[in-house]
Amino acid sequence: MGRIVGIDLGTTNSLVAYLDAQTGQPKCIPGPSGSTLCPSVVSLDPDGSIIVGEPARRRLLTQPERTIYSVKRLMGRGPADVQSELKLFPFRIDPSSGHVIRVQLGDKVFTPPEISSFILRELKNWAEAYFGEIVDRAVITVPAYFNDPQRQATKDAGKLAGLEVLRLVNEPTAAALAYGLHEEQRGKVAVYDLGGGTFDISILKLISTSDGDIYQVLSTNGDTHLGGDDIDNLLQAFVHEQILRTDKIDFSPHGELAQELRKELIALKHKLSEVDSVTLRFPLPNRKVFIHEFTRGALEALIHPVVDRTMVPVKQALADAHLKPAEVDEVVLVGGATRTPLIRRTVQEYFDRKPHTELNPDEVVALGAAVQANILANGVQNMLLLDVTPLSLGIETYGGAVAKVIPRNSTIPASAQELYTTGVDNQTGIDIHVLQGERELAKDCRSLARFTLRVPPAPAGLPRIEVKLLIDANGILQVSAKDLRTGTEHSIEVQPSYGLNDSDIERMLEESIEYAEQDFAERQAIEARTEAESILTATEKALANPNAANLAAPERAKIDLCVAALKEATQGSDYKQIRRQIDELNQATEHLAELLMNSALQSALEGKRLAEV
Amino acid sequence: MASSLPITNPPLVCWNCHERTVGTHFCSSCGKVLQVAEHSDYFAMFEMPRKLWVEMTALEKKFLQLSWKLHPDNFMNATAEEREISLKRSSELNDAYRTLKDPVARVEYLLAIEGARKEGQTKQQAPPELLEEVFELNESLDELREAKSSGADTGSLKRRLEAAETNFEGKLREVDGELQNAAREWDKAIDESADPTQRKTLMSKLNELLNRRSYIRNLVVNVQKELL
Repeated sequence: MGRIVGIDLGTTNSLVAYLDAQTGQPKCIPGPSGSTLCPSVVSLDPDGSIIVGEPARRRLLTQPERTIYSVKRLMGRGPADVQSELKLFPFRIDPSSGHVIRVQLGDKVFTPPEISSFILRELKNWAEAYFGEIVDRAVITVPAYFNDPQRQATKDAGKLAGLEVLRLVNEPTAAALAYGLHEEQRGKVAVYDLGGGTFDISILKLISTSDGDIYQVLSTNGDTHLGGDDIDNLLQAFVHEQILRTDKIDFSPHGELAQELRKELIALKHKLSEVDSVTLRFPLPNRKVFIHEFTRGALEALIHPVVDRTMVPVKQALADAHLKPAEVDEVVLVGGATRTPLIRRTVQEYFDRKPHTELNPDEVVALGAAVQANILANGVQNMLLLDVTPLSLGIETYGGAVAKVIPRNSTIPASAQELYTTGVDNQTGIDIHVLQGERELAKDCRSLARFTLRVPPAPAGLPRIEVKLLIDANGILQVSAKDLRTGTEHSIEVQPSYGLNDSDIERMLEESIEYAEQDFAERQAIEARTEAESILTATEKALANPNAANLAAPERAKIDLCVAALKEATQGSDYKQIRRQIDELNQATEHLAELLMNSALQSALEGKRLAEV
Repeated sequence: MASSLPITNPPLVCWNCHERTVGTHFCSSCGKVLQVAEHSDYFAMFEMPRKLWVEMTALEKKFLQLSWKLHPDNFMNATAEEREISLKRSSELNDAYRTLKDPVARVEYLLAIEGARKEGQTKQQAPPELLEEVFELNESLDELREAKSSGADTGSLKRRLEAAETNFEGKLREVDGELQNAAREWDKAIDESADPTQRKTLMSKLNELLNRRSYIRNLVVNVQKELL
């Protein structure tokens, strides 16, 4: 068995880490450039090879149509879900995507898990080069607020990258693990994690027991579409508008110029965390230079709405943990965006506590993933993680309402049983619709799975089918059903309503369609052969009739030829060919049929005549 | 503390060594994690009698102890079968803890396993003594919805509803108090090995209180929603 690593598959950057056996501390693995950050950017080279990381990031400027960033935003989502993203991000979705998103890179299309798998494979390569050993297992982190399809898509990406995904760990929880190892913290900890594209808040309780330390997540909340990207979008929109006004240049939002400006603005944003003012000088196509002085105050005014949006989940998570801000002992900041002074200030004021920033906010999640990877590889020793499901699990009931069966913030694994019966006699199916979310109506929740329970025919109300929903330690749903009368168990293949992005599943789907076509062809061939046989028999019989002697020699030869050809065609499986030969023979025997018909008619008339006599 | 009700775990044959086992979570002969029984009992999982007063610190301690042993992290290198069994047991432990730590869910669960939980018609009906107030409340809610859709002033209506909300929240606390008292009576009956008839009476009382509580809670939630 190969090595095991922890991977932070981030919106902006991804990292890989391992637990150093000597020091007992987790460590991030650098790539060829020496940096531990692998930009989550993928580019398809015109020669067909895949380029990942920093070299791909440079291609955002030179080959934007072959390059993609922030693909995490598309994970586990359907085309209809991402319409708003498309206005802000240069994603080129293949219009013929159907219910699975396909992203266009140059002349090829890829599903989001495939693109993520390229990033994972790159990190796997980094680690293998570093160890000089095979890496085949990983713990991958996901935003705590990721729903089931988003988690499933991440797991699929791991599989596609040739990694056995031992566990998906929530990012803030991973950060808490890394900090716990580092700081020996105790008590209640709030982890505020603002990454490139996602925001999470988790409240944990760190408990020392005689067995070891338990990290128990009390509650989690967040927004899977809120992050540093949003700050960049605000800045970009602001500057686009300025340039439109002063220079009448309307940026195509996703062109090379826009990418170049975005890069400048991100650098400017980073500088404003250190200094109070920065001047942007951006050369325009009209040979002028756009100059604008940004102060930290102006930036903060611009991004205030983003920071405010993060506070809504923070308050909800605290309420769910039955805590007041002052009852939180420690606050930890995670994610590159938390370097922003406004965010640090806002969090510090709310909790009235200086937040921890000792560990590199870019690395801390990967470090925690490495800690959990080590636990899973070597067995639980002195540390245990108890995480929760971020969203309530429900089943659609009468009238489109949702009955919650596993409430949000339940410790996972968690399960629920529901009993079903039939409403009418001999009903053979019961439709079940499983959803995730906090809203009351099914249409407002995330549809996870729809399936039909097969029931043997029986009087209404007699069947008793127990459906068991189980959320595993990865936060992924499993469904099974049991017929309580017979005791037979059925496992139910849960096919997510969207997010079916696994290329394997797609291939299976394609195969099933091919198979279906094959089945059709076979059925047609069987029918055609049967028809051919009856025509061949009829022809044989007709030729044996004395009247057939009246056929001209070439006619007779033509019929013999067609009979031979049809016989040959029935040996094959091409139903179209059989049909063609049937038609040929029918045509060739037209005259023969007439002859026989006339003689039959004649004898019939003669008979009649005879009878009349 | 004496309890007449035995803590029962249904007898089980171990999936691994096929011995009859007396363990709660692990086989008493081979030590493997046990599969979840057909009719398991959350109280028995925690080796507690079926009583309604639960010492929270002890419950949490037991939960954490069991989590150390039952969490899926412990079974990463086990066979697929054992992993599957442990996953179910681990989720059942979490389900049990979630249920028992919530005082209302605990009563509901007790009544369910005692076969005494009756929901349905009684749950939807207003308790007779509340009929008049519920009627008034529903009227005010209708008026508020109308006023909202026609854009009329909602100030006084909202104040009236806020007063009603406070009133019903008070009633909710009352029911909670009654529920606590009834729970105490139940525990006493268990301790004194009360006869089945007396237990049945107590259960139907608990059941009725739960239905009343759920009814009032729904009212409060509905009012809160309109006032948001």
